[in-house]
Amino acid sequence: MQLTRKQTDSCIECGECTGSCPISRELSGFSPRQIIKRAMIEPDGSLLHGREIWACLSCAHCSERCPADIDFPEFIRSHREEARKAGNSPHESHHGILQAIASLQTRNIKQQRTGWAEKVGAFHDTGEYFYFVGCLPYFDVTFRYLNLFPLETAQSVLILLNKMGVEPVISNHERCCGHDALWSGNEAVFRKLASWNVEVIKSSGAKTVLFSCPEGYFTFKNYYRKYFGDLPFEVVHMTEFLARELPGAELTFEPSSDAAITYHDPCRLGRCSGIYEPPRQLFQFLPETQFVEMERSRENALCCGTSAWMECSSCSKAMQMERLQEAAQTGARTLITACPKCQIHLTCAQSGTDMDLKVRDIYTYLLKRLSGDETHSK
Amino acid sequence: MSSLEQLRIVAFVCNWCAYAGADMAGVSRMQYPTNVRLIRLMCTGRVHHGFLLRAFLKGADGVLVSG
Repeated sequence: MQLTRKQTDSCIECGECTGSCPISRELSGFSPRQIIKRAMIEPDGSLLHGREIWACLSCAHCSERCPADIDFPEFIRSHREEARKAGNSPHESHHGILQAIASLQTRNIKQQRTGWAEKVGAFHDTGEYFYFVGCLPYFDVTFRYLNLFPLETAQSVLILLNKMGVEPVISNHERCCGHDALWSGNEAVFRKLASWNVEVIKSSGAKTVLFSCPEGYFTFKNYYRKYFGDLPFEVVHMTEFLARELPGAELTFEPSSDAAITYHDPCRLGRCSGIYEPPRQLFQFLPETQFVEMERSRENALCCGTSAWMECSSCSKAMQMERLQEAAQTGARTLITACPKCQIHLTCAQSGTDMDLKVRDIYTYLLKRLSGDETHSK
Repeated sequence: MSSLEQLRIVAFVCNWCAYAGADMAGVSRMQYPTNVRLIRLMCTGRVHHGFLLRAFLKGADGVLVSG
């Protein structure tokens, strides 16, 4: 907290943050610059009691561009716990079930987290690589109504890994990474989930943990270190791993009749972790594929409009529609993303329209294009 | 907590059938376990899966939806 206060003191009031903020474009009156200024004048004042503290998406557009290096998302995050204590809670989407699922995982519960994997590939209880599946098994049962099957992502990752000769650890005892709890002011829940995960991974003996989810990767890489010190394993994102290992693996991809494809940078992978190149390198393995960039990409990529399953609003919908239209304008018919939540949010926004755009996750798409693969599903 | 009587069960019941059934049981002086807590709804169509998870989160050992 002291660090963030020190940081906010260096604000030069240029307004770059507010000018960059996608929320302030839709929600007039929301201004990161003014929030910081007000917090300096009265630290326990209106920020803790207003709706603004929950409106921030923590998409990091502002902090990416701030000339004084103020980490506005972190500033907001560090005040959310206090806001909750003051009785100011966020509006939880989907009747709060995703928050309930995360809280339930802090207990000594029995999960069925590996059923999906038994059907498609080989994995073990101990080994060098640990595949951190994250919330995909829970998303899979929650978002069927959108005709989405998030476990396809996990299955595709496992099949790709197996084909590259890696049989990872997948654990029934894994927990949610705690990202959403952390960003919605529930540090106690985050701590419990995180300590479970560190123990589970340690007991597997893994040296490398692979993440298909950007949020899990980002949370482990930054916040697990902050809370638990140096981790006894390396944290690697699947796009990094694939970009590094695919050239050496004997896997080939097939041409397809798909028109051009485009890529949506998830906030946690792009701006928050600086991983822009690896996913793009993966597209180069696909023969006869035209990859086109959207008008706003990489560090300028628009956020998918909602974070931590809260405060979904007309503002979120407006941003999602804007992003979908931007993708359509490139001429691409397939929008690829590396984040299950971006896929869910953009698919949800698209469901009410007649837009001809497929929103796909990167691993499922790669597997679909893999030569000689009949295992992929649905 | 091994005994069934000690478990806390939350039951979401429909006003028009399950709740009426429970009421009928009471009127007929039939006994049913006291560890079941009824929550009456005008229709069990009102039940969202968030309700079930919330019940577990608040410490229920089991949830019954009847209607």
